[in-house]
Amino acid sequence: MPLVKGGARGSGVSGDPTPQRPTLDSSDAESRWTAARALAGHAEAVPELAAALDRETVPRVREAIMTALMRIGDTASVEAILPCLRSQDAGLRAAAIESLQALPEVIAPFMKSLFGDRDSDVRLLATELARNMKASEASSLLCDLIEREQHPNVCAAAIDVLMEVGTPEAIPALEKCAARFAGTPFLPFAVLVAIARISGAEG
Amino acid sequence: MSGSEGSEPRSVHIKPEEVERFCEFLYRRTGMSFTQGKRYFIDRRLEDRIAATGSSSFQAYFSLLRADADHEIEHLINSFTVNETYFYREDHQLRCMTSSLLGGIAVLKPPGSTVRIWSIPCSTGEEPYSIALWLMENWPQVDNYNIEIVGSDIDTRALKAAAEGIYGERSLMRLSRDILTRYFKPTADGNHQIDEGLRGSIEFTRANLIDAQDMGRYRGFDLIFCRNVLIYFDDASRRQAAENLYDCLRPGGYICLGHSESMSRISPLFNVRRFPDAIVYQRPEADHG
Amino acid sequence: MVDIGAPAKVRVLVVDDSSVVRLYYRSALESAGFEVEQAINGIEAMERALSKPFDLVIVDVNMPRMDGLTFLRALRRSAADVAVLPALMISTESETQDVAAARAAGANFYLVKPVAEAELVRHVCVLTGAVS
Repeated sequence: MPLVKGGARGSGVSGDPTPQRPTLDSSDAESRWTAARALAGHAEAVPELAAALDRETVPRVREAIMTALMRIGDTASVEAILPCLRSQDAGLRAAAIESLQALPEVIAPFMKSLFGDRDSDVRLLATELARNMKASEASSLLCDLIEREQHPNVCAAAIDVLMEVGTPEAIPALEKCAARFAGTPFLPFAVLVAIARISGAEG
Repeated sequence: MSGSEGSEPRSVHIKPEEVERFCEFLYRRTGMSFTQGKRYFIDRRLEDRIAATGSSSFQAYFSLLRADADHEIEHLINSFTVNETYFYREDHQLRCMTSSLLGGIAVLKPPGSTVRIWSIPCSTGEEPYSIALWLMENWPQVDNYNIEIVGSDIDTRALKAAAEGIYGERSLMRLSRDILTRYFKPTADGNHQIDEGLRGSIEFTRANLIDAQDMGRYRGFDLIFCRNVLIYFDDASRRQAAENLYDCLRPGGYICLGHSESMSRISPLFNVRRFPDAIVYQRPEADHG
Repeated sequence: MVDIGAPAKVRVLVVDDSSVVRLYYRSALESAGFEVEQAINGIEAMERALSKPFDLVIVDVNMPRMDGLTFLRALRRSAADVAVLPALMISTESETQDVAAARAAGANFYLVKPVAEAELVRHVCVLTGAVS
């Protein structure tokens, strides 16, 4: 019978191949990955993880560092992740948004400042962070944004989130937005769809 | 309103835009999407869930769903998928295993080597036993390798049942008469018990996918079946589980998810690989910079 | 006489995490006679691209779990029949360095959002060789 009982480690698998203790500084990616994973939940490791995030180039190690920070999930770890929103690296920006999106209560105090950032790319990315918040809070934050926002793509991103979280109170702000961007491609369409979805909510 | 005992919930009328809102949420969260032709299927299930949660309106239900109150996401997904476990479920993946995946593994490993396969969660054992049966029936090279099959679950009662290996007609419905007679014995109460040899060759263990320490005890798998469980986890747990599973695979090892599941909703750690019978995910052989 | 059936529709894969963007592109392209499928990020896009033949992929940059540039690089490394899939990248970025990055990743063409329906259809027709 070719079937053999092996168990967790398996009969043929030797011990841990990395001889010295893995750290975030180790020269090989596997060690840095192991080190990052081991630090998840260790709040005191935030500075170390933040520094590692800044210099790490291997995607899966970056992912593990982000996960570790996300699992620590305090204000310090959010502050460590936020600078990634300004990165030139699309992958890093995406990973940062995902991690922050999982921490709606911790990111809440930062939302006003993110929506007021001078960089439109940061404002645009930040709209996603409202998605996991309570509908009334998210809707209100996004309406404040679109009322002031001049950049059409930021409005578009906000409207996409409003399609999910928007309350009927958001309709006037949406209509004003459509008026402001009347005659441009896309935004008037987006507003129409958003209002239709939100109005469906009226009892 | 009918006059039966207990109050019949008033049937909530759902507007098309509300269904759209719901469908987008479901698609974003799980990857499940439906064509226009399946619309009534969604409407029915949505109505059922609104009624089951005692929601007075779609909006009330949608808020509940977004907050995942009372594990509503789990109930919702259950209403959209078939959850029962049975032998040879999703056999296209078993076929992929013998037609494609093991071929690649056998190229790297000389005869006499060990091939390690993990079924997690294994529930009451149908999946690991199916893997064993399928291999013996369909892999010409099966006798050239030492095949270690591990079945793990968080539920110790399920594991106990798996070790006992007794199954009813429904669970066995996909197995041919021939396989049933060769590998199972009928029990007194009309069920069948899988052969002692097979029962003794699968290692059943308790393991929690989200617990890194737990999962850290498992290494060097060539193939992992992790079907129809990750879809129920929240974002953070899914990421954690994916990282744990990555570590349990050897570089180049494969992982199969359930038919409604996709790594697109779970983790970017794995490469998507297409084979004639299935799309599976692979731990990269090496890191790219 | 042999019935060869209706000509196959040109099939476009739209990849963007914004549902309203996908809706907008789909409505424009379906009205113009294209068959449209969607994906929400680069991983789902890869799954779709590997599952059936497409004539063009339209891809955004900022998406969760796998961004558009990473997707394009992975696409160009994948199985031969899929690696040659023409790609139109439509993004919010307009700096020349972003256009260069898109080309380096494997985009055949690059547009900046917001894109008008008519402009989209025109580019898709050109890139797929379809007559609208």
